Amino acid sequence: MANLRMNRMGMAALVALSLLAAASDLSAQFQPPGALGALAPANIAKPRPKPPFDLTGTWLHGGGPDNGFRFSPPAGFKLTPEAQVHYDAARKAQSEGKVYRDDIGQCWPAGVPIMMTRVWPIAMIQLPTAIFMIQELLNSLRIVYLDGRPHTDPDVAVPSFNGESIGHWENDTLVVDTKYFVADHHWIDSGIPASDALHIVERIRMINDRKTLEIEYTATDAKSWEGEWKWTKRWQRVDERDIAEVECLPELNEHMPTTHSNAHVR
Amino acid sequence: MKSHITTLLVIAVFISGSVYAHHSAAGIDRTKTVSVEGTVKAFKWGNPHSWLEVEVPNSKGSTDIWNFEMNPPAYLVRSGWKSSSVKAGDKVKVAGRPFMNGDPGGILVSVTLPNGQVLGAGQQPSTLPAQAPPQ
Repeated sequence: MANLRMNRMGMAALVALSLLAAASDLSAQFQPPGALGALAPANIAKPRPKPPFDLTGTWLHGGGPDNGFRFSPPAGFKLTPEAQVHYDAARKAQSEGKVYRDDIGQCWPAGVPIMMTRVWPIAMIQLPTAIFMIQELLNSLRIVYLDGRPHTDPDVAVPSFNGESIGHWENDTLVVDTKYFVADHHWIDSGIPASDALHIVERIRMINDRKTLEIEYTATDAKSWEGEWKWTKRWQRVDERDIAEVECLPELNEHMPTTHSNAHVR
Repeated sequence: MKSHITTLLVIAVFISGSVYAHHSAAGIDRTKTVSVEGTVKAFKWGNPHSWLEVEVPNSKGSTDIWNFEMNPPAYLVRSGWKSSSVKAGDKVKVAGRPFMNGDPGGILVSVTLPNGQVLGAGQQPSTLPAQAPPQ
């Protein structure tokens, strides 16, 4: 009898360990068999603490002082030699009234972080398991997972312009960790390239009676610059607006002389 | 139609000459307004930009194609624009911020229709203060 009880306890422990192992295999991009996606009703319905705020709405960057759209380098910044080449070229182009590698104008995605501060609004839909952000410009999609999954194994993670974002709540703040970015045609600012080492942590709060969204950014990219760069940006609710389908097509740029004038340095 | 190109030096008024852009407007002279008269070749009503192509007679006895970049419809409707406001063959007068290098085209400021109605560049469809377009 005692042996039978021990066997049952051993089986239960084995099952528990197996479940734990399966849970540890969860990742943002490749869910193991049987795992629930962020939109699975059973995942959404899981009991979770009530979040301190709901970002659902349409948001437009801007308003208030010290809230520029650019993610400019801080005072005294130091770039890696590889990034410095781009930065110097961009400054030279600017001094000549030109623009350096305006990849967004060539229909490349803006990418995180600058996709957040375009002059186009962002629609956000918050669920218990994830926040879906759709930037009107190119309808660029960003998903912040909130269902407890870890980042994907770096050996299999697929890099993207908006990266892989995992969020968790800390009191009244949503903390979002984003990595796995593409390195080509992806810029932090004019002449500041993003590399595949870019790592961004956002601390998101709602202020001003929940009419203003504030995000504190901390970014590191050992392949482009030294240390941490920080910015604080704010968005306002624009309840009277919806986003539209916005594509950037080669046919469009044929009729946009500013995208292929000699003011561009590539 | 006789070509009529007038360059006016103006104080840079950022909003009236800007486009709600997906791209840099480097190469555009925001301190000047060029006015041309011609025949509409094509008009696109869409996102992220509308655009207007106008055939303008030149001094060589032929025509140049002037391509004017425009704001998206969400802005333009606030200046009275409709998708049917202009069509190929219409005689129009167009004012725009020109290219620094003299290439025909630029960023649209306004269009004067055959019936005399003037349609502007559009307005930002939100309550936020107007912002400078990103580069």
